[in-house]
Amino acid sequence: MSNTGQVKNNNRAWLGIKHLNQTMLTSIAVLVCIISFFCALSLGAADISFVDVWQSITPAQANSEIGYIQRIIWDLRMPRAILALLAGSGLAVSGLILQTVTRNPLADPYLFGISSGASLGVVILIAFTGGIFTVLTPIAAFIGSLVAMMMLMLIAGRRQSQQVESMLLAGVALSFLFSSLTSLLLYHTDPQAVTAVLFWTMGSFSRAQWENLLFPTLVITACITFMLAYRRQLNAMLLGDESATTLGIKVNRFRLVMLLLSSLITATLVSMCGGIGFVGLMIPHIVRFFVSQGTVFGILLTALVGGIFMIWVDILSRTVLVNQELPVGVITAATGSIFFLTLLYFRKNRPS
Amino acid sequence: MSQHPKASTSLLTTEHLSWRADDTLILDDITFAIKQGSFTGILGPNGAGKSSLLRCLYRFVKPEQGIITFEQNDIWQVSANDYAKNVAVVLQETPSHFNLTVFDVVALGLIPHKGIFSRANTTDNEKIEQAIEQVGLAHKSKQNFENLSGGEKQRALIARAIVQSPRLLIMDEPTSHLDVRYQIQVMELAKSLNITVIASFHDLNLASAMCDNLLVLDRGKLVCQGTPKEVLTKEMLSDVFGVCAHISEHHQHKVPHISYYYGYLTSENEHGEHHE
Repeated sequence: MSNTGQVKNNNRAWLGIKHLNQTMLTSIAVLVCIISFFCALSLGAADISFVDVWQSITPAQANSEIGYIQRIIWDLRMPRAILALLAGSGLAVSGLILQTVTRNPLADPYLFGISSGASLGVVILIAFTGGIFTVLTPIAAFIGSLVAMMMLMLIAGRRQSQQVESMLLAGVALSFLFSSLTSLLLYHTDPQAVTAVLFWTMGSFSRAQWENLLFPTLVITACITFMLAYRRQLNAMLLGDESATTLGIKVNRFRLVMLLLSSLITATLVSMCGGIGFVGLMIPHIVRFFVSQGTVFGILLTALVGGIFMIWVDILSRTVLVNQELPVGVITAATGSIFFLTLLYFRKNRPS
Repeated sequence: MSQHPKASTSLLTTEHLSWRADDTLILDDITFAIKQGSFTGILGPNGAGKSSLLRCLYRFVKPEQGIITFEQNDIWQVSANDYAKNVAVVLQETPSHFNLTVFDVVALGLIPHKGIFSRANTTDNEKIEQAIEQVGLAHKSKQNFENLSGGEKQRALIARAIVQSPRLLIMDEPTSHLDVRYQIQVMELAKSLNITVIASFHDLNLASAMCDNLLVLDRGKLVCQGTPKEVLTKEMLSDVFGVCAHISEHHQHKVPHISYYYGYLTSENEHGEHHE
């Protein structure tokens, strides 16, 4: 970070440059996001040119010739791309919250077992009511994720700052526990449901439909707004509980609210698109490498980069195999675990 | 002087303060008053309760018994945010793996003064820059806080306290782990703010040079208080700290200066002859 620009004696001038850099970075991210979105509409099993994409999303130009293309774009690809965008930004932000309030750089909803808790909640619901994916699904997921979060907090204890590793271990153990319970339950469930559920647990955006996009959109935009409002308090948490207390923050209450928020995002996304791992870990780290997380732009960029990443993961999942869909979770787990290993390697080799 | 505090001039007082952790009495019936504008040092051997006392003063722990007042108001009766507007705290560094720039860390001082949606305006930014300049970190304000040296971190945290614009500054061992040069620099910086300061010290000579009021804790009890001259005596040093020392006058500012005797084997009389 320190050698990015020449040292300016005039502090004010430098601040201007930094501000500009962040604004520029954010605008670039917005641009890349829009382009990625177009790519997501264009690429897929049926090849659709950019011109056709443009024509079908501008209603004035709509004509009957490309009617089926319009159907593909509006009914299939558009909701899917929006869900991918939402999932990516939601998970990235949820990871950022976890990492900040637990002061644990290895925090991630998936690694901490919160996603598996939510999955278990959903599978319990399916096992006992028989219905696959109903209105109750997000609620079951939320309860599951809350149970997971509570168990994690109880086990890893209150002195989070010293227990980076123990929290991670507890999280991984919890996530195995919940996964095994999930498998056990699935064993006793109707085989047809099992296939659907198994595919869902590996992560997929195939359930994206216009009518079920509203809820995740509301949850995620509300959470991001909330985070932006409390960004200073979030920063203060990074310097420790005691330090945050002296700045007038009610630390325990604030942490609880933020953890609830993170669970809510995770649960909403799990109930829609299953377990997608490592995004929450990876994206905040990548963004943090370029900009200070202390600013508005830090949070916005985290959300944007997460969205862009997920759009491309979705494009990959639809195009890598001909006529088949690769589960999204497989791709994020592959990229994410390599990232995680690299992170661990460098953390170990850094003089502490 | 501080044995007979006048309510009108004292900024912060404690009365019969007691606090216990896991059935161990950490603070035992502590009563004192801090005068407006004074520089108070809290001394005591390891485990005497210095940090615990400060924690009570900055509302991190609630005392079991006793009352702490700030400007005649019980500190637990005012809101956390209002208290933070008046009292800033500089703690020892906590390691973290996140990148906040020095500017971001100093900007945290705005928290008690800002509503949740309000943006930092130009005056706020100027205030932050000014504070960074005041502690001599202007050339490092875009750097990662974690990459600073120990002394620079302390100075950045003091800059945060300046932005908080408090009436009282509390510092917990602000000079431990620092080189001598930075110890003096950090303390003089704190002194230059012209506000009331309460700080805990390990270095008795530094405390003697900086403070006009000293409190000595031993096993949770307040054993003596007063000016450095009144407090730093041979008897106190041997009773509380268990060391044998010679006290002279510092040739620059005439405060007591302590030189310690070393070696366990020689008797006390020989000590005196050797060193005097």
